[in-house]
Amino acid sequence: MQKGNRFDNISVRFIFREEEPVLNLDPSVKRETGYIAAWTGILSLVMEAVFLLLRQWDVSVLLGNLGGAAAAVGNFFAMARTVSQAVEQGDPKSAATRVRASAAIRMLTIAGICALLIGLAKTNPFATLIPLLFPRVGIMFWPLAERKRKAETAGTEGSELD
Amino acid sequence: MVELALGIMLGLLGLGAGIGMIAGIGPGIGEGQAVAKACEAIGRQPESKSEVTSTLIMGCAIAETTGLYALIVAILLIFVAPNMFAGIIMNAVK
Repeated sequence: MQKGNRFDNISVRFIFREEEPVLNLDPSVKRETGYIAAWTGILSLVMEAVFLLLRQWDVSVLLGNLGGAAAAVGNFFAMARTVSQAVEQGDPKSAATRVRASAAIRMLTIAGICALLIGLAKTNPFATLIPLLFPRVGIMFWPLAERKRKAETAGTEGSELD
Repeated sequence: MVELALGIMLGLLGLGAGIGMIAGIGPGIGEGQAVAKACEAIGRQPESKSEVTSTLIMGCAIAETTGLYALIVAILLIFVAPNMFAGIIMNAVK
């Protein structure tokens, strides 16, 4: 008789569950999160360069920047996923409740992450907090990117029709 | 006397951070309303779902920024301002 772990079958079934993907993401969520992550990365590099130029750079700045940028992109991704799932649900009332609850939880999570980074890990407070605003800068330029994408899509569809 | 001043300063900073975080309520309500209206719009025109979702996500992110401003100010009041004001009080005492 084989003596195996009694959870073996359960874990195998959990990992290889084919009919239902673990992370079923809306294409617009992937696209917009990628766009925001790219802007956050670029602006993080710019911020690091500014700290270097001001001769204020140290490891705490880098760690704070990484933590803040990860929190900003993670917050955007969570928000986008919640919004797309709420829209998918279709019922306006429950969608609104879901998004409100998500907003409160995300805000508390970011506050907790920042408090841990600044209070316990002693990262630079400014380097930790400034990346939280980077997605807003990316959104400022979003209409331009969207217009370009639409023009490209229209061009592709036009060439397919030809 | 210095201890009292420092205590009052810390209390007021905490109070300020708490009052500042009231601004964090607004984005949640705004996002909820926007999503509810988007659901209704998609119900009327299902073919515009992708476009509405993209615009909605970006709109929600903009709405959320006001809450993040409040959060940043609150965190600065809690973690950065005490050292600064304590320095000012200690200099004033000297």
